Amino acid sequence: MNTSVLLESWIWFGIAAVGFAVLFNVPKRTLLPIFLMAALGGTLKLILVQNTENVVLGTLCGAVLVGFLSIYAAHLRHSPPFVFAIPSVIPMVPGSFAYHTMKGVIKLSGHVNALEFNSLLRETVNSGLKTLFILLAISIGVFAPMLITRRNSAKEINIRIPVLKSKRKS
Amino acid sequence: MNRNEPLQTGTLLLEIGALLMTSGANTNRVRVTIKRIAESYGYTADYLITHRAIMLTLSSEEQQEFNQIKQTYGFVPNFKVVSGISRLSWEIANEQVSLEEAAKEVERLKQLPHYSRWVILAVVGLACSSFCRLAGGSFFEMAIVFIASFTGLFCKQELGKRQVNAYVGVFMAAFVTTLVTGGVAKFFNYEHENIAFITAILYLIPGIPFINSTSDILDGNSLNGVVRAVNGFAISFAIASGLIFALLIYNLV
Repeated sequence: MNTSVLLESWIWFGIAAVGFAVLFNVPKRTLLPIFLMAALGGTLKLILVQNTENVVLGTLCGAVLVGFLSIYAAHLRHSPPFVFAIPSVIPMVPGSFAYHTMKGVIKLSGHVNALEFNSLLRETVNSGLKTLFILLAISIGVFAPMLITRRNSAKEINIRIPVLKSKRKS
Repeated sequence: MNRNEPLQTGTLLLEIGALLMTSGANTNRVRVTIKRIAESYGYTADYLITHRAIMLTLSSEEQQEFNQIKQTYGFVPNFKVVSGISRLSWEIANEQVSLEEAAKEVERLKQLPHYSRWVILAVVGLACSSFCRLAGGSFFEMAIVFIASFTGLFCKQELGKRQVNAYVGVFMAAFVTTLVTGGVAKFFNYEHENIAFITAILYLIPGIPFINSTSDILDGNSLNGVVRAVNGFAISFAIASGLIFALLIYNLV
């Protein structure tokens, strides 16, 4: 894969995430971690998607990475993890799949002859399901660290510290 | 732990809950925060948290001391408030913070300034043009997307100031954005591959409702999760209809 493209996408993922962070009015001290997390998660997703051709799985891995980094960042900058995680995963949303789903639905609701119908329906359902599953992958990925560690204890504080310690050792 | 005024504590807790709910926190965070603060002041808290209202009962030693409902405010994402309240709740739990100080801190958090309007517009425009670049757009397309999303968000903010229905605001913003994208394209006689149309409206996507909806359902707050998901789908539908109307004008569907 082309390294310069990867390096460039780093910057664009970061800027996109910071844009949304400002729209959500995050504290100023969290902007730098958000930039880095979005860049790392986004690049991981790009690499996986190009090597495995599986958009949903790639997005899930990217979002899980962002989720774990957000717990790290939360301890460094004293803000709840999702303040970092939500703006960082937004560059991964499936904009063009959603667009093609919507266009397909509009076309399906108009005059369609029997020949075109099958291919149109296939494309629409395909991009629709991809949109849905990518959205699910993003939101599950963000909360993956909380879901995995919640078995230990119900209280939040007891969850975060073991995660941080195990990360620091490795 | 010394016993404080039940009325004061309850009012503070309801205010904190309503603020968290409106600023974009998930339901579990509201529950945990209310519980943490109530326990530090020596009360047992029982609550019902819904999208539009929060109901709270405080009791101590089997005796009910406070029972009220508070309406939440209109949804405006504000992570500064969420972050500040999270800090405040830990301070209350770990150190002795009097009720007056806590109430003052909440007031201060409410007054915290947003980023200035032009900064938001410029940065969000840049974010959308980065989306365009990521989708494979050229620098010319990036410029179009910047102008379009800048104008669209400006319209949305103006409509928001005039208290227009939120979905109508989103619809109008998507419409104006696509109108500008298509208009610039027509003016410069430029061939699109849909990238500019797709990426210019991405600043409207309901990211917080969808992500919070999943986390609420996973936490067992299914009702709130469903409400948020429906909310997200309604916004998506508003975006789609605004986009389609503008595309119909340029005969591009």
